[in-house]
Amino acid sequence: MERQTILTVSHLQKYYGARENVTRAIDDLSFTVEKGEFVGIMGASGSGKTTLLNCVATIDRPTAGHITIGGADVTALRRGALAKFRRERLGFVFQDCNLLDTLTAFENIALALTILRTPAGEIEPRVRETAALLGISNCLKKYPYQLSGGERQRTAAARAIITRPDLVLADEPTGALDSKSARLLLERFEALNAEQGATILMVTHDAFTASYCHRILFIKDGRLFTELNRGSDGRKVFFERILEVVTLLGGDAGDVL
Amino acid sequence: MFSKLALKNVTRSVRDYSVYFLTLMFGVCIFYVFNSLDSQWVMESLRGSSGTNDTTRQALDMILTLIDIFSVFVSVILAFLILYANNFMVKRRKKELGTYLLLGLSQGRVAALLFAETALIGLISLGVGLVLGIFLSQFLSVFTAGFFQIIITEFHFVFSWKALGKTLLYFSLIFLVVMVFTALTVSRQKLIDLLQAERRSERLKARGLGMSVALFLLSLVLLAVAYAMLLIRGMLRVDALFYLMLALGSLGTLLFFRGLSGFLLQVLQSNKTLYYRGLNMFTLRQFAARVGSNYLSMTVICLMLLLAIGITACSVGLNNTLDSITGVQAPYDFYLAATALDPETGEETAVDVPAALKEAGFDPEVELEQSAQVALWQGVVTWVAGDQEEVVVFLLPLSGYNGMRSLSGREPIALAGDRCTWVIGEENDVADRLAQDGQVFRVNGHDLAVDGTAVSHEALSLGYDPTPRSYLIVPDAVLEGAAEEGALNMNIDYFCGNYRADAPKEETEERFQSVLSDFERIAFRAEAGGGGWIRCQTRLEVYLETMGTKMMVLFLGIYLGIVFLLCSAAVLALQQLSQAADNVPRYRILSRLGVEEKMMHRSVDIQVLLAFLLPLALALVHSVVGMTAANQVIAQVGRLDAAASSAVTGVFLVIFYGAYFLATCAGSRRLARGR
Repeated sequence: MERQTILTVSHLQKYYGARENVTRAIDDLSFTVEKGEFVGIMGASGSGKTTLLNCVATIDRPTAGHITIGGADVTALRRGALAKFRRERLGFVFQDCNLLDTLTAFENIALALTILRTPAGEIEPRVRETAALLGISNCLKKYPYQLSGGERQRTAAARAIITRPDLVLADEPTGALDSKSARLLLERFEALNAEQGATILMVTHDAFTASYCHRILFIKDGRLFTELNRGSDGRKVFFERILEVVTLLGGDAGDVL
Repeated sequence: MFSKLALKNVTRSVRDYSVYFLTLMFGVCIFYVFNSLDSQWVMESLRGSSGTNDTTRQALDMILTLIDIFSVFVSVILAFLILYANNFMVKRRKKELGTYLLLGLSQGRVAALLFAETALIGLISLGVGLVLGIFLSQFLSVFTAGFFQIIITEFHFVFSWKALGKTLLYFSLIFLVVMVFTALTVSRQKLIDLLQAERRSERLKARGLGMSVALFLLSLVLLAVAYAMLLIRGMLRVDALFYLMLALGSLGTLLFFRGLSGFLLQVLQSNKTLYYRGLNMFTLRQFAARVGSNYLSMTVICLMLLLAIGITACSVGLNNTLDSITGVQAPYDFYLAATALDPETGEETAVDVPAALKEAGFDPEVELEQSAQVALWQGVVTWVAGDQEEVVVFLLPLSGYNGMRSLSGREPIALAGDRCTWVIGEENDVADRLAQDGQVFRVNGHDLAVDGTAVSHEALSLGYDPTPRSYLIVPDAVLEGAAEEGALNMNIDYFCGNYRADAPKEETEERFQSVLSDFERIAFRAEAGGGGWIRCQTRLEVYLETMGTKMMVLFLGIYLGIVFLLCSAAVLALQQLSQAADNVPRYRILSRLGVEEKMMHRSVDIQVLLAFLLPLALALVHSVVGMTAANQVIAQVGRLDAAASSAVTGVFLVIFYGAYFLATCAGSRRLARGR
């Protein structure tokens, strides 16, 4: 399969504040993500990883630099075009509060399709297919408050991938989950990546979660600190290597576990 | 610094809490307009005019007194409304208030800050409301003048110090109460609750759709039964069944709103193409999720709207009915009857009214277009066919009756010498039997057969009697010498006339009124110590008197109607806005998913529209049924003018309801955009 670049981030800068008192949340950051990759972004609190994700997600605008997704420069798009871009090309999974509590799980997943004006006849089979992939077929009729945290995150994941986006963005998807649910979700992510060829960019500060990725970018103070490739390593070995870097990063123990 | 903060908060409030301002402003405005009624120059000139008699003056004073009383009632309603609105505002600012406390401002200081803010908001809304009120009361003045068919030749600026003072007093009191309440609410809050106010969101419960559909269908049945009861039984029989009807109607309304969203959801879910299009699914679910907390208030708002529509429509309609009554009651310009008492013997003697009038300076030959002398007789006649039954009747001689007919522009009738006929005032079985062709009556020794072809069913009022009477019309010759026989009495000899058509009637009326005291002196031969009595009324007087009733009905009706309308709209708007605030996180999710602003706005608009339209729609159906029933009552005296009353009600609905609807849409959109 030919390698194809999905995401290019070049010389990205995001500054907050006025002239004398500037905070450089992201300071000249550049990297690329290939199609079919499962990339993690790690860093301590305040390292700029969420700012980076928000910029890639087109929710926030960078101060300088360019972000190209699937050939389109999103930093050059206007507001209205951004919304269209988001619903057609991107999928999101956030830490919490990302399902609409008034809709059933089925409807939450279907919503991603209805706002794309997908023909009504296609919606039901596609939702069922995606739900089966994430192992939530038997809770489609339930409302979010009736679901467990893991089921909720998998529903969100189903919503994120049902539109077959170029890029799935995940912000601390396991942050609010117990370890069993977290493992289940990550295994699903792995499967999506392997079977569907979904490209996933995941932000996390948890080494265990990160160990499911193929490649990890470490960010410190808005700059790229280092990059880890899993290569042919097993997950356990990769986990150890991640911990080493985290220690090197100066993250305290609380950040790791 | 402190006052700067208060000022800044208030300017921001004007933008963010437009509904709160709208409510305060409208409240002040309506209050001023209706209380300024006493200094409307039309009212002044009416009270002062010579043509106004005591009854009219009493009616006018009655209106003002009633408006005074109602204003107390209205100010209590407005106080509750403003408290509710203020509560809503404080709730939305909890986090901000918590931050002040966190920064070390004492609770007293925060309360004082809110105190200052409320005072400032009060001052601004009082100012704007009063300006608007003074502006609108000019229109009311034109409106009242139109009522009395007075043509306004010059502009009179209307301003009432009394209304101004009253508005200031009442609203200062209301604001004071609001300020104390606000300060109390804040000082009793715990800091943690204030700061975390946003976190707490209501728990949503899944509701069975099947149940909703069943409730909805049940509500339709209940409403149908209540409607049928109202239409069949009418409005006047107030008994146990009447209250049952009210209970069924209210319960039906409650269940209607409880079941409606579930029913809609069920229906639309079966139409996949519609359900799975854009945000339709989200919009409907939003609506359905709110039902639990909304159906009660929707019911109350629907019933309040029903009151508003009903009161406004009925008072406008009734007003037009009264208008048509005046025409029946006073078919000619004036009547004058006089009886003098002989100074020596004390006996009643007839007065030659035209001659006395002429002597007093009002020449009937010159001033009147037409005139007629009508003698009203009363007494016992024998109904020959009905077992010689004796009946007490009013009688009119044919000449007098024909004179009255021509005064009101009708053709005279002819009657053979041995015939009589009836003018039926109130239709009933007895009147029907009496007026049958060929019934024979013995009047003063003459047997007269009823001429059925000449029977008139048009109400005829001699002496402007408000309740129509029946009259037996007999040939003049029959009544000759009847007074001596004793069975019949000549009650009154009316002199009726129409003013000349080529001069303004008001001027002729003024001349007529001015000679009345001279007329009395001449007719009674007062110099010789004679007395007597006169009866006199003019069409204009009757008109003004009816107008008094009209104005009372209309003004009070519209006053109350508008206040109810204002309350419903304001409560609805505030409720929608507070829910829109709860919805902010949901719109944030939608925005992240890539839903465009335009699409979200449409969803917001539909939600607000549903909330505003549904109670209104049901209230309209209720009031159409109610007015049909009311018409059956009013039909006895006239008819509700459906077109005019609907038009007036419609205008008020569009202005008040529309303003709140637009403000709510704008506010909810702003919240959905997350700014």
